[in-house]
Amino acid sequence: MTFRLQIVTPDGLAFEGEAEKISVRTIEGEIGILARHIDYVSPLGMGEAVVTDAEGKERRAACIGGMVAVHNGNVRLVATTFEWAENIDLERAKAAEQRAREIIARPGLNERDLKLAEAKLHRALVRQAVHRDL
Amino acid sequence: MAGVSMKDIKLRIKSMESTKQITKAMEMVAASKLRRAQDRVANSRPYFEILFDTLNTIANNTEDFDSPFLEKREVKKSCYVVIGGDRGLAGGYNHNVFKLAYSLIEGKNACVVPIGKKCLEFFRARGVEILTEAYAVAGEVSVGDCFTVAKMLSKGFLAKEFDTVSVVYTNFVSMLSQSPGVLNMLPLEYHPKPGDNNCLTLYEPDSFTVFDTIIHEYLGGLIYGALCESVTSEHGARRTAMDAATKNAEEMISSLSLKYNRARQGAITQEITEIVAGADN
Repeated sequence: MTFRLQIVTPDGLAFEGEAEKISVRTIEGEIGILARHIDYVSPLGMGEAVVTDAEGKERRAACIGGMVAVHNGNVRLVATTFEWAENIDLERAKAAEQRAREIIARPGLNERDLKLAEAKLHRALVRQAVHRDL
Repeated sequence: MAGVSMKDIKLRIKSMESTKQITKAMEMVAASKLRRAQDRVANSRPYFEILFDTLNTIANNTEDFDSPFLEKREVKKSCYVVIGGDRGLAGGYNHNVFKLAYSLIEGKNACVVPIGKKCLEFFRARGVEILTEAYAVAGEVSVGDCFTVAKMLSKGFLAKEFDTVSVVYTNFVSMLSQSPGVLNMLPLEYHPKPGDNNCLTLYEPDSFTVFDTIIHEYLGGLIYGALCESVTSEHGARRTAMDAATKNAEEMISSLSLKYNRARQGAITQEITEIVAGADN
């Protein structure tokens, strides 16, 4: 059984069509959504999203920030960043990781900058992890 | 006399020609950038519409809904995000948006977050308090930056550093007209829709957390949307301004050519008169 899935980002529509299953990481942890899910809303954390399309093929992506909403059986994933594994720029993620690590290692960092750098590091690591299993 | 003025006119025509080439090129660049900017606006729209929809639904369907972001306080200090351009030569684009922003700010206790080089210059010259200069180059502001600004502003709002947050930007009405506008960000205004009661939605962990989490994204989205809209307007305004400049240049060239030809004719007539006068003797 399939459901209608829409994935939107500020850069445009990343996916629209029928899907069998989607699993994403919310701020509470990993969840999987199948057809006929109850109406549901949760903010997204940083992690991997796996979409199983109508033919049972799996596609993986880095999915960061935003929210997932189920309404009347339609699933909408509204993500700040959503990159399919094959579109991830590994070099950029590695460079970002290094930059973030340098900032974190700096002495006398205030809390705000530390948090920003940690978030950057986290994003870079998520991207790399999704790309690695390609 | 005729010879000197002919040379002058020729020089002026030449310089007009090169000016025309420049304005024509700028117009074409603006037109192609405009198309890209319009695509960007169209692409980003569904994202924010869905977020806003969800926020509205949550606020509507939860009884005794309350969030620090909805709190209306007495306004002691306001914060304005003003979006302008990095460069001039765009007709009244910068002037209009600054005029509106300044009329709101003047005489009040306010601070601004300028986006765009021209914008930073304008407010610095007038001694308005500037919250951050990190986003002065409008061309380089990304979605991520918008989210950072939104986070900073909502933190300031919650810490009561300022009591309202608004965005001053330029609305892209059509290719030919762009009007400056103000968008109130915080406190958030939501529009209750009667009869829209869907209490069976499961919010995880709970509706307040969901609301307070996605509101950051929504606010970032508002700024990004306003920025996209402003950038589109800037290109539109520049295209129109450069189109007008090209037309002016063409007009000047044609009137100068007329003058040039008259002067040439005058010179020839004079020469003939002189020759005829010489032959008669």
